[in-house]
Amino acid sequence: MKILIVDDEPLARERLTHLIIEINNNYQLIEAANGLEAIEQVNKEVPDIVLMDIRMPGMNGLEAAHHLMSIDNPPAIIFTTAYDEYALQAFESHAIDYLLKPIRKERLEKALNSCSKLNKLQLEQLGLQNDEITYRTHINAQIRGTLFLIAVKDIYYFLADHKYITIKYSKEDVLAETIIEDTLKSLEEEFDHSFMRIHRNALIQKDKIEVLQKQRDGRILLKLKGIPEGLEVSRRHISSVRKLMKSSF
Amino acid sequence: MKIFPELKNNSKIETSIKQNALFLPDFCSLGMVFAVVIIGELLAFILTLAPLGIEQQRWNDLALISLFIQWNGLMCSAVLCLLRPLIKNQSQQFIAVISYLSMLLTIALLSELSFYIMQKYSITDIISSASHWEFLLHNLIIGGIISALALRYFYIQYQWRIKIEAESSTRLQLLQARIRPHFLFNSMNSIASLTRTRPEVAERITEDLAELFRMLLRDDHKLISWSREKELSQRYIDIEKQRLGERLNIQWQTDTIPDNALIPALMLQPLLENAIFHGIEPEINGGSIIVSGELDYNQIKISIQNSNSKNIIHRKGNKMALKNIRQRLQTHFPGNASITCKEQENTYFAIVIMPYQQIQDE
Repeated sequence: MKILIVDDEPLARERLTHLIIEINNNYQLIEAANGLEAIEQVNKEVPDIVLMDIRMPGMNGLEAAHHLMSIDNPPAIIFTTAYDEYALQAFESHAIDYLLKPIRKERLEKALNSCSKLNKLQLEQLGLQNDEITYRTHINAQIRGTLFLIAVKDIYYFLADHKYITIKYSKEDVLAETIIEDTLKSLEEEFDHSFMRIHRNALIQKDKIEVLQKQRDGRILLKLKGIPEGLEVSRRHISSVRKLMKSSF
Repeated sequence: MKIFPELKNNSKIETSIKQNALFLPDFCSLGMVFAVVIIGELLAFILTLAPLGIEQQRWNDLALISLFIQWNGLMCSAVLCLLRPLIKNQSQQFIAVISYLSMLLTIALLSELSFYIMQKYSITDIISSASHWEFLLHNLIIGGIISALALRYFYIQYQWRIKIEAESSTRLQLLQARIRPHFLFNSMNSIASLTRTRPEVAERITEDLAELFRMLLRDDHKLISWSREKELSQRYIDIEKQRLGERLNIQWQTDTIPDNALIPALMLQPLLENAIFHGIEPEINGGSIIVSGELDYNQIKISIQNSNSKNIIHRKGNKMALKNIRQRLQTHFPGNASITCKEQENTYFAIVIMPYQQIQDE
């Protein structure tokens, strides 16, 4: 069995490693120091169980778990935490397995032997009952079976087309596009602090607005910093776009 | 699908204080109406007994005076009862002024009305001697004094209630304001881990933790020397350093603060904890904390700064800690000390200013 230990604190990982070796010397152990690394490791190593700390820099454990749930055969996830009132209440009410640090060996052994897979519904209901973050830092997509992540701050826009949404983003200064299954409405609700609707089918990152261009045929296009094509702004949304641009210059 | 629904968690203490924020009691309640009736009747007795006059007439006077006072008292209560929902969000001073004026107005109107009735039916001879204006003026003066006393009484009672509430916030809450439970459990976890690999470090961390908690559990109202305060802060940092490793960098630029300066015990620790929570923990590569301090014209200024990355979603802060420090500074140096926080270009500053007091040699 392969176990992935995810924790930002080296001492916490060290302790878990020791405990697991004592429980069963044949388990194969891998480590990650935050949510992003955890997803990389899951893609590469395909562990059976992930021991996931909740509070971590970069991407926290709950968001990482959420992304992991979208792959075809997700690992079982056991959350670990030192103290997290809100998260713990949520775990209790949705019967999600968790371990309290410092973790007892017997408790860990029991969890490893009997861990059932977290189901997607449980996690969705769980939300992020945490005291700090209320939205994702990354969007996940799957390319040829591997999970990969797009940082929300690198996204230019979401463009809806029937059932699918095209995401335009930059990765290491190279423009890229990918398709996900979601609705514009839920994305708009989740990211309303940084994105705005400019058309029935388009949601753009506010920080990336560059200029409005009026076309000969009367249509108005919005140019975003760093991408050549303009996006059409509908009449309904033009005033809110203008207002935002005025307030930020 | 909104994955991370926003959670509204106001601190329970704040809301409980807010609910009682109105110093005026609820005049719509039966108990309050009863109290008004009793107090009004006592006042009627005083007013009847006070003047020296013919004994036989007193019962008559009492009846009339009671009627008038009860009428006034109950009408004032009714006005305050109706006014309450309209003014409850205003400042205390505004509420006091408005309730006072509305009571005087009620009394004036009732006086006018009763004078008119008494004249029309020529009910009594008590007031026959008094002119219209004298009657109004007397009533307003008596009403004004009684209303002012009542408001003052309610205000003092309100302050007393607030104080009781504040005091009854348990010792645990006080402790939590100054140290996050997270810190305790994370430190325990570090110790559990170190016990296997580096027992001597585990031993040291346990000692540090014991020293911190011993100070924390002691009496709150205490000043200690700067050198001791710095030592305790370093013990705290030492524990956190085990956990965060290279991610935690701290610089002390406090050489100009005299060692014998008096500081509220463990004032720095919650500020350092906040700096770690906001500046170090959310960053994969960590960050640095700079503690700088100086002695300037008999004032000690200590500033704690940490980077606050814009990319990191802001964590909810420990407002209780700041409030607690502010209270303690106020206790030790009334009016002469302050703590301010500001954010400048992604750097967060907490600045404490207090007078320089030395340890008295014994």
